[in-house]
Amino acid sequence: MNSSQASAWTSIGRLLGPFLPAVVVFFLAMLWGTLSSPYFLDIPVLLLHSGRYMEIGLLALAMTLVIIHGDIDLSVASNLAFSAATLGLVYQSGAPIAVAGVVAIIVGTVLGLINGLLVTVIGLPSLVVTLGTLALYRGLAQIALGDQAVTGYPEGFVGADQNLVIGVIPLPLTIFIVMAMLVGFLVHRTSFGFVSLMLGRNQVATMFSGMQPKMNRLIAFALSGTMAGFAAVLITARLGSTRSNLALGFELLVVTIVVLGGTDIFGGKGTIAGTVLALFAVIAVREALAIQNVNGQIQDAVIGLILVLTIAVPVAVSRLLGRVKASRRKALLDFEKGRSQ
Amino acid sequence: MGIIGMRPLARNLARFRDLGIGGIVLAVAIAFGAVNPVFFRPENLFAILLSVGIIVVLAVGQMLVIISRQIDLSIGSTLGVAAMVTAMVGRDLPDIPTILLAAVSVGVGALLGAVNGFLVVGAKIPPIIATLGTLAIYRGLVFIVSNNTQVNPSEIPSGVTALARVSPIGVPPIVLIGVGVVLAAWYFTRKTMTGLRLYAVGSNPEAAIARGLSPLKFQFWVFVVMGALAGLGGLLYIARYSTVNPADVGAGFELQVISAVVIGGTNIFGGSGSVAGVLMGVFLVGILANGLTVIGVSGFWQSAASGAIIIIAVVIDTLVRRQMSNGKKKEKSRPNE
Repeated sequence: MNSSQASAWTSIGRLLGPFLPAVVVFFLAMLWGTLSSPYFLDIPVLLLHSGRYMEIGLLALAMTLVIIHGDIDLSVASNLAFSAATLGLVYQSGAPIAVAGVVAIIVGTVLGLINGLLVTVIGLPSLVVTLGTLALYRGLAQIALGDQAVTGYPEGFVGADQNLVIGVIPLPLTIFIVMAMLVGFLVHRTSFGFVSLMLGRNQVATMFSGMQPKMNRLIAFALSGTMAGFAAVLITARLGSTRSNLALGFELLVVTIVVLGGTDIFGGKGTIAGTVLALFAVIAVREALAIQNVNGQIQDAVIGLILVLTIAVPVAVSRLLGRVKASRRKALLDFEKGRSQ
Repeated sequence: MGIIGMRPLARNLARFRDLGIGGIVLAVAIAFGAVNPVFFRPENLFAILLSVGIIVVLAVGQMLVIISRQIDLSIGSTLGVAAMVTAMVGRDLPDIPTILLAAVSVGVGALLGAVNGFLVVGAKIPPIIATLGTLAIYRGLVFIVSNNTQVNPSEIPSGVTALARVSPIGVPPIVLIGVGVVLAAWYFTRKTMTGLRLYAVGSNPEAAIARGLSPLKFQFWVFVVMGALAGLGGLLYIARYSTVNPADVGAGFELQVISAVVIGGTNIFGGSGSVAGVLMGVFLVGILANGLTVIGVSGFWQSAASGAIIIIAVVIDTLVRRQMSNGKKKEKSRPNE
């Protein structure tokens, strides 16, 4: 192999590097699912099933941006629940469903802004703030709805997620792809995104470069809320009812997807493409497990295991390679020593 | 007055802070009692002590983890595995001495804690991610070991349930165990060299290395201790609730515990935290949960109230801290006399 070939390989490796875990998990899960059940690899069915993961996907897109800043938003699922609760109540009070949807998105954004203000203006750690609002927003949803469910949404709204765009792609997937492109553009093609990535690497240096880090972080939290509002509309259309326990525990899955997609939990590194790939990897794993009737808790445990392995395996491999290199270097040194004597 | 005069000032402010939370706890308790005197009935205070006794065991461990600049999100699931295994052993061997069951519970917890520690120290996974993963993995483990069947009250050895009843000394053993853990943690953090070093490792790992300490060692063992305490919490959980249901044993404990630790003034970025503060935080969380029910506020308000309290507590804490560091700066800028 000549050197230009070698460098081509390393550049491919570098390009694929952060995506590798997600891609490997995706293909393994697809392979396993196909081998274990003849009914698994049914593309239209898989596409249709993908709808129920797109709410998580929307949350993961904004979470990627939040984590790139070195922050975290654990309140997304609770925000979703409260936004959905306002959607339900506004609709119940007689407003048209479109108005209720817009209100839900606005409420989600406001809740996100509250997180952002607490983090940037008062300077609290985002982990603590969003741990608090995780309980607070869920609690507000419980106060708003009690143990009642809001139902009776109009015909065209409920089941809207079953609509196909250009005859093949379900509506939720379409919305997700459009959003992914928008957020991807924001993160990777604008100066806003550039500042975000810089911030995650070194906040102090970024501040001394004359940037406004607070504004960036605030916008990221607000966007996280907006996505929760969108997801609230989607989930209501899919389920046709609103309860206060909607999306319970989604925050863990969302963070898992973002990290699986190669985003550094400490900030400064991450791609939207990685998050998208990781979402599909998680869908593949879940569907492969579900077709064999694996219990939900075990499905969660498998996702947890994948999360841990995603980081542990590369560390183990690089350590092993390092050891091999070191022993080679030592052998070479011994050889040189032997010659000089 | 020179730099030397500063230390007592800062220490006084920190102590003032613990007292401040104590004051809030007292005020909240009196408010609940004023609305409904039932709150101060012995049976109710007894119920509060029982729940505080369990949470404080976990909170003290979490405080140590956070002091070392880490976090353990898996404690609820760790407690779940330990409680489930212990309850099953108790069911299958009804004559086993309680002390052996305690050893099983603590041992299982310590083992799971060691796995967390290995993932963080050995595999270099950030603690929040590693324990996010094991939160789900251990929850799955509860399901696997129990084969999704719950252990019923009739199957729990009476020696274990006795831990939650009033003993000849007048208080239930759960409370005594809680007090014991608190005292041990206070002694460890205030009176031992290792405790002091834990703070050093948490507040500045690089400096700690330069002083010849090994942060990795501390990071590992702190997870083992946390696991062992979560295991102990599992035994207390069996004693208190008698039923161990794989679907919900210990679920959500991590949130309650981290809230208590943060309300107690432990700095989430490591290096500082006091047992007295955490104890107050646990009392606030326990009293709030109990009191809201006693005064007849619907259960739907619980979650919102505890969320609001966390945020209010950290906002106040941050403002006090800022005030403190401003005071320090002024003190420093004054010329020496």
